[in-house]
Amino acid sequence: MPPAQPDNPEHAAELLAQIATEQSRAAFSELFKHFAPRLQAYATRQFGNEQTAMDLVQETMTNVWHKAHLFKPDRGSAATWIFTIARNIRFDFLRKNKYRQNDLSADDLWPVLAEQNESLDDDYALDDDLLMQQLAVYCEQLPPAQKTVIELIYIEGKSQQEVADALDIPLGTVKSRTRLALQKLKELIQHD
Amino acid sequence: MIKFHPSEQQLVLYAAGELSPAMLMMVGTHVDMCKQCQAQVQDIEEQMARKLFGENNFADYQANSLDSKTHDAMLAAIFASTAPVAEPSPPQPHDNLLYLEGKRFTLPATLARNSHRIGDWSRLPGKLWRASVDIGAEQSLNFIYMGEQSTVPEHTHKGNEATLVINGVFSDEQGDYKDGDFVLLDGAHKHSPHTTHEDCLTLAALDAPLHFTTGLSRLLNPFSSLFFK
Repeated sequence: MPPAQPDNPEHAAELLAQIATEQSRAAFSELFKHFAPRLQAYATRQFGNEQTAMDLVQETMTNVWHKAHLFKPDRGSAATWIFTIARNIRFDFLRKNKYRQNDLSADDLWPVLAEQNESLDDDYALDDDLLMQQLAVYCEQLPPAQKTVIELIYIEGKSQQEVADALDIPLGTVKSRTRLALQKLKELIQHD
Repeated sequence: MIKFHPSEQQLVLYAAGELSPAMLMMVGTHVDMCKQCQAQVQDIEEQMARKLFGENNFADYQANSLDSKTHDAMLAAIFASTAPVAEPSPPQPHDNLLYLEGKRFTLPATLARNSHRIGDWSRLPGKLWRASVDIGAEQSLNFIYMGEQSTVPEHTHKGNEATLVINGVFSDEQGDYKDGDFVLLDGAHKHSPHTTHEDCLTLAALDAPLHFTTGLSRLLNPFSSLFFK
């Protein structure tokens, strides 16, 4: 069997992983050898300008080198990831040349290289996170017994019966502690 | 369920970055809201990448191949480069919220990332409000908010108008449009959008001609049966 080439998707993904974890120059050189000339050929045709094409290749591959940890194999192939980086850089290049202010930026349209692009993608995730953080602060102010019950139910997702079993207390006690805790939380939040 | 989607051609041009700024925002926002179009855009990106890096370019890249000196110089420059400074701080929680008349709307990701472009609301006759989105082009992109029981006077469009429902429902002679629905109306269309018992926040843009005649989208054969039926 011939050695794997970067046009083999699994191998390309493996190379990116090596760059991300070990800053492997060998892995990067192999990717570069495969992708850079192809990008350059395409960009030269696109821009009709050798220098701009080289700039695009260099900027794209520099991002691949520094941002390999942002590649998510479950979201698509390595080639596609590199393509989307090049697409973004090309988009910004084309706009920069027009010297216009307030133009859209590629990163704001396609957050390929955003360190955190999960939270905003999921409409309400951000809200939830914030809410959980705030609630955690309030929970700290609850009496320990109530706090334990709230955590087991709302964070670990246990039923009231499971909590009763886990803490070896009657179900009625769990219910009353939950009720009192929620009441207290409500007061704390309204008071704030 | 979203019933109305951008065309496949619009998705291809979106993935290539070759729509007008207003339409990039419109299609991008629809894609945020629509799992089906998300999958399709991913598919289109895979296809473009395969064309760009695939065997078809073999002859080209042979001819243009980086000579080894340039190659080595570029590699050395990349290894010597310092990692770019961390991205600007992550979006603030309020960036994805839009307020009007005591109502709060959650903005899809594309709009949230561009929330600094959203201007102030101004009141239009009827129960209508408008806020423009500054996208740095001559073209206009606007939020239009229709209160309950409101009507936009019947009109036709000069050119095509695209409307995307962000939240709520509006209706016209053709039907009802709900969250995520993306409607293109051509110049011949006479219509009078209205709401009944629910209000509606929409994003609206005029569909301007494409900015580029060559580009990434050309990677896909425009006559391929997959994308342009």
